[in-house]
Amino acid sequence: MKARQNGRGSNDAPHGCANDSLSGRLLAKLMPLNPRASGTEGGMTVVSARSSEWVRPVTQQDPASAIIEIDRVSQVFQTSARKDHVALSDISLTIEEGAFVSILGPSGCGKSTLLYIVGGFVSPTSGAARMKGQAITGPGPDRGPVFQEFALFPWKTVLGNVMYGPRQQGVRAAEAEAQSRALIEMVGLKGYENFYPKELSGGMKQRVALARTLAYHPEVLLMDEPFGALDAHTRTRLQNDLLNIWERDRKTVLFVTHSVDEAVFLSDKVVMMSKSPGRIRQVIDIDLPRPRRRNELLLDPRYQKYVVDIERMFDESDQAGAPA
Amino acid sequence: MMSRFFSPNLVLGIAPILLVIALWQGLVSFGFAPAVLLPPPGFVFGRLLQQLVTSTFQHEIAATLIRLFAGFAIAVVLGVSIGIAAAASPAINAVVRPIVRVLAPLPKVALYPALLLLLGFGHGSKITLVAADALFPILLSTYYGASTVEQKLIWSAMAAGSSRYEILFKVVLPAAMPSILTGCRIGLVISCIVVFLAEMITSTDGLGHALVTAARTFQAVDMFVPLITISLLGLVLNGLLGVVRSYLLRGFPEA
Amino acid sequence: MSAAGMTKRAAPVLACIGLLVVWQVASLALKNDSFPTAIGAMRAIPDILGDKESLINILASLRRMAMGFGAAVLVSIPLGLLMGRSAAVAAFFNPLLMVIYPVPKAALMPIIMLWLGVGDITKTLVIFLGVSLPVIYHSFEGAKAVEEKMLWSGAAMGLSPVQRLVRIVLPAALPEILTGCRTGLVLALITMITSEMIARQSGAGNILFNALDMGQYETVFAMIIIVGAMGICLDAIFERVRARLVRWSEPQFDMPLSFS
Repeated sequence: MKARQNGRGSNDAPHGCANDSLSGRLLAKLMPLNPRASGTEGGMTVVSARSSEWVRPVTQQDPASAIIEIDRVSQVFQTSARKDHVALSDISLTIEEGAFVSILGPSGCGKSTLLYIVGGFVSPTSGAARMKGQAITGPGPDRGPVFQEFALFPWKTVLGNVMYGPRQQGVRAAEAEAQSRALIEMVGLKGYENFYPKELSGGMKQRVALARTLAYHPEVLLMDEPFGALDAHTRTRLQNDLLNIWERDRKTVLFVTHSVDEAVFLSDKVVMMSKSPGRIRQVIDIDLPRPRRRNELLLDPRYQKYVVDIERMFDESDQAGAPA
Repeated sequence: MMSRFFSPNLVLGIAPILLVIALWQGLVSFGFAPAVLLPPPGFVFGRLLQQLVTSTFQHEIAATLIRLFAGFAIAVVLGVSIGIAAAASPAINAVVRPIVRVLAPLPKVALYPALLLLLGFGHGSKITLVAADALFPILLSTYYGASTVEQKLIWSAMAAGSSRYEILFKVVLPAAMPSILTGCRIGLVISCIVVFLAEMITSTDGLGHALVTAARTFQAVDMFVPLITISLLGLVLNGLLGVVRSYLLRGFPEA
Repeated sequence: MSAAGMTKRAAPVLACIGLLVVWQVASLALKNDSFPTAIGAMRAIPDILGDKESLINILASLRRMAMGFGAAVLVSIPLGLLMGRSAAVAAFFNPLLMVIYPVPKAALMPIIMLWLGVGDITKTLVIFLGVSLPVIYHSFEGAKAVEEKMLWSGAAMGLSPVQRLVRIVLPAALPEILTGCRTGLVLALITMITSEMIARQSGAGNILFNALDMGQYETVFAMIIIVGAMGICLDAIFERVRARLVRWSEPQFDMPLSFS
């Protein structure tokens, strides 16, 4: 495993197809990406459950209500003058409140793009994503992203980074600082409040990024291969810590990864995607007890079976060439 | 430019400067160059110290500094705001970009006669020339810095609830700061050079004027003094900017 | 794509025309005797270029500029590359260059004139000094950024240190070197004009100030157009050469970034 991955390698960089020249590149970054804006009228009707793409409610949970609905979303990028790249093709998915859902797939299957659509950073070519019934038109503090690249503000200290969100939300400085200090302690970085990101290791940076996002209390966490740039050891520790933090308030999490172990270990549900065009292959309920302990789970035959089954399914689709 | 000046290699670095001075001294003392044309270094530095305390010379330095700072300040304000605006707005970009492409390689000194005709022989024309020359490196590096801000920094701020306008000031400007300061450093040195040249071409005061006056009367010593002064001024200002830079960029790696 | 390419190409031309229009309107509005109209200034251009003496003067300026630029590039690139690959060489030269950096090279004109007279050597030397620094700096930066592993593979293949410098460092640093040369080229023009303005003996800069002294304002502005056009053309030509030489390199920022 590579200890450090370049974010560009494994992410389905949707902005790669934006205007090639630098002109207006900043503007493109400030706008939700929308290569073909025409005819994206979001259907008002609630989609009826169709086929296996529909995620069923999580077991042993209260009457679960849908928090995110992805309704027949397609995303086409214009790679050159004539060629189009279909990153996502007709994706429908519903995510229940409080569920930990992983999107699992090979690089280039559009899984990050799907996450960016939910985040409101990218506008889909057709179809619509909804948050609590409201069409998603742009980013908002109800959906907090955590990126593989950490994306911490290098000019701010750890505390400054974590305080950014609350301050933007209009929380008073003293209060925001108190909350932020508590969060920094929760992610295990007490004593590092006045450090700059450059002085921290990769794992610590990602802890800060998580705290920064949690600080503005998003209802959904959007995690884009958050541990992809970390070494194996750090990665496991962060997975454990993430689960511990998640157990406290069970926020809805949408977690993009290409690691089968990671997806099975963390999630209630694994959404398997296939490549070119990006489609949902299968949705698998992970029926393992919580709270999960790594050392117990690794010996659990059910866990092992999930991992093996999922890996086999990916192998089959590779051999078959074109996905089902 | 030429960063890491105060490195442990300082001794090695001082050697060539001493060497030049020794060579200079040698040329004079062994009679290769007549002292009228090439005054010995000790004499020149003595003259410099002697001049620095006179009010006339301080007046020249002040005149030069006022023009330098005024021109540089205008260039920073215009350069940073136009640079950010051009990066953020396609409409502004479409207008600014071709104009910059035409004006950036244009030798601005050539405009000086026109500025003299339009703005007179006083401060105005010199400050404008300094600003015009320092503007482009600052504008271009600001534009470059603002255009290459990491997408995910902007997304993170958007998700936290910042508006586009806020992001311009809270994310794009600080993220472009390393690039902006590089532009400012280049612009500052250019300001030093240009203000001196403008004063040499036509002026009634300032360091450049002091050099020209000395040249007219063939006072070799007095020609060296303003040159060394502007070099020292450049070093001091560059050092000051370096302090500002390391403060502003304290969070950035490699700063 | 082609339509976009066309507008992209035409944009600088449109910008030129736009600037001339602004000038025309401004001069008509100001009605200042010493601020001729753009059309008036352009009418004076053929007179200058038609005058044999001015033409010889301008061509002589250009020749000195080419010589100064060429010599500077030949000396500066190897020095910059050496500095980039050897910390000791860099430590040796850096402070000296730091001290020279803020000295206006054209300001050395009167002193060098004192020693060497007002001939071609003086003017060429001043241009040489003006061009050297950016070329050294960019070569230095370019060589410093060459990946160590590339040199290791070169050494493993049995290349001597000199061969490595010529066959690995030089091409790898070429994009950066050419950026320095581009800056140097514009700087050569600037130094040339300025030194002629200061020396007031001959050349394009001298024509400018003679016309100013004699109150021939249209000639002044016509000369400004000529010098400006020289700068823009030199830059554009060099940009084409650069694009050819380093086709392999990442499509670069299409505006000159540094004007040190």
